[in-house]
Amino acid sequence: MAYKFPSEEWIAEFGKAINANEEYKRTAATWEGPVALIFNAEPAIGLDEDFCVWADLWHGECREIKKVTLEEAQKAPYVIRGSYANWKQVVQGRLGPVKGMMQGKLKLKGNLPTIMKYVKASDELVKCAAKVPSEFLDE
Amino acid sequence: MGYDRSLSFIFRCPTKIVFGEGVAGDVGNEVDELGGKRAMIITDKHLVETDLYRQVEKALGRRYVGTFSAVEPDTGVHIVNEGTDTARKLNVDCLVSIGGGSVIDTAKGIAIPLKEGGRLEDYDGFQLLTEPAVPHIAIPTTAGTGSEVTFAAIIKDHQEKRKLVFANTYIIPNVALLDPLMTVGMPPHLTASTAMDAMSHAVESMHTSERIPISDAFALHAIHLIVNYLPGVMEDGNDLLARGQMLIAACIAGAAMSNTHVGLVHALAHSVGGRFGVPHGIANSILLPHGILYNLDACPEIYAAIARALGVDIRGMSDEDAGKKAADAIWELTKKAGLPQKLSEVGVPENGLEEIADLAISDGAIVYNPKPMDPEENLKVLKQAW
Ligand SMILES: [Fe+2]
Repeated sequence: MAYKFPSEEWIAEFGKAINANEEYKRTAATWEGPVALIFNAEPAIGLDEDFCVWADLWHGECREIKKVTLEEAQKAPYVIRGSYANWKQVVQGRLGPVKGMMQGKLKLKGNLPTIMKYVKASDELVKCAAKVPSEFLDE
Repeated sequence: MGYDRSLSFIFRCPTKIVFGEGVAGDVGNEVDELGGKRAMIITDKHLVETDLYRQVEKALGRRYVGTFSAVEPDTGVHIVNEGTDTARKLNVDCLVSIGGGSVIDTAKGIAIPLKEGGRLEDYDGFQLLTEPAVPHIAIPTTAGTGSEVTFAAIIKDHQEKRKLVFANTYIIPNVALLDPLMTVGMPPHLTASTAMDAMSHAVESMHTSERIPISDAFALHAIHLIVNYLPGVMEDGNDLLARGQMLIAACIAGAAMSNTHVGLVHALAHSVGGRFGVPHGIANSILLPHGILYNLDACPEIYAAIARALGVDIRGMSDEDAGKKAADAIWELTKKAGLPQKLSEVGVPENGLEEIADLAISDGAIVYNPKPMDPEENLKVLKQAW
């Protein structure tokens, strides 16, 4: 079955996919700290408010993943924000997260040099996201 | 040199580039065009004592409200915040930077909190700004970093001993005044090392996995200009034609890099600089030919094109052989310019190489090298360069 992207069910599957990925475990072995992902509100496709995800990533493991409020999300040391269309490109593997930031399609709050050390891990996260069967809001 | 159908890119170079002898004197018009009424100059304590500086101050006329001249090499968050405070007190609405990369990056940094409020460290991130920062006119006095057209400002947090990169489309300077007269005072050693930084930007923007055709075009011409005009400017620092061409080379190499990435050479150079204090241009200059030879089998056709831009007659040569000639041509250029050839000549101890090799793995640039790197592979390159 396909999961509505984004939804609480979708992020739960995403969390499972992360913990099943050995390559992520290896490349993120020293990563410490939660990452928040924010999908900008887009009422036209049914996203009435910002959809915020909190992923507690620690030493190659996803300890917890959940939907949170915008206020909570903004407390994460790393916050990545983007429009629905751009996030969709990311999970479909058409836009690398770092390239997305280079091009200004995704915005990062947090220390860039630290993120850059984990580019391979971020690519693995994208692969995990791509594994979740998704039903897109704009299709 | 080919691309495949997966090619997709955005190329940005929004800076208005004004070139010519004496164009720094047009700064007042540029401030007006940007809608500025109260301009502050950002520079360092040496430049502020020069005639070059005084000319710009005079040219600003009634628009001039003050100067912040406390920029140091390897600028820091505390310096940017101090500059921001000064600018706020003076109610500044336009910034004019006169200097090298550190000064221009400081102005890029000040432009952020001056517009958005708060302190610089609140904006640590990538593409975080949602609207243009305070207008900024950059007047480079070196020909190397290309910071006058790039979207990043590298600013150290000296207290936490970490490097912050503020990468944002909205901090690309609005105007770059490329005035050859502003660079005539550069001593030969600095002229050569900054030129090799620009050369490294050009070569690395071409061999990175993120390369794009428009950057290729800029990079190839930058390489051509540097190899043709660096010898002249080394021979006669007052050669204004050569000075000007070097400024153009650094500027377009910066624009190329700002839209692609750098690779192994910069990753190693950052680590050599961070650990042993080797100046950025010198480290790049030493490492560049070794980086080319190391990567040669991954993209020989790119190095063949670089060889051609360096003036090597590559007719009848295989791409691999042409690539080797590219490395040779760079050695010839840096030897002629009197630059050190080995890491051992610039205070790097042999027993420090392993540490550099490890350090470079955590440099963001390494990811975009055409060949995947690990500490052992880094060490091979470093040993060659030692
Ligand atoms: Fe550089």
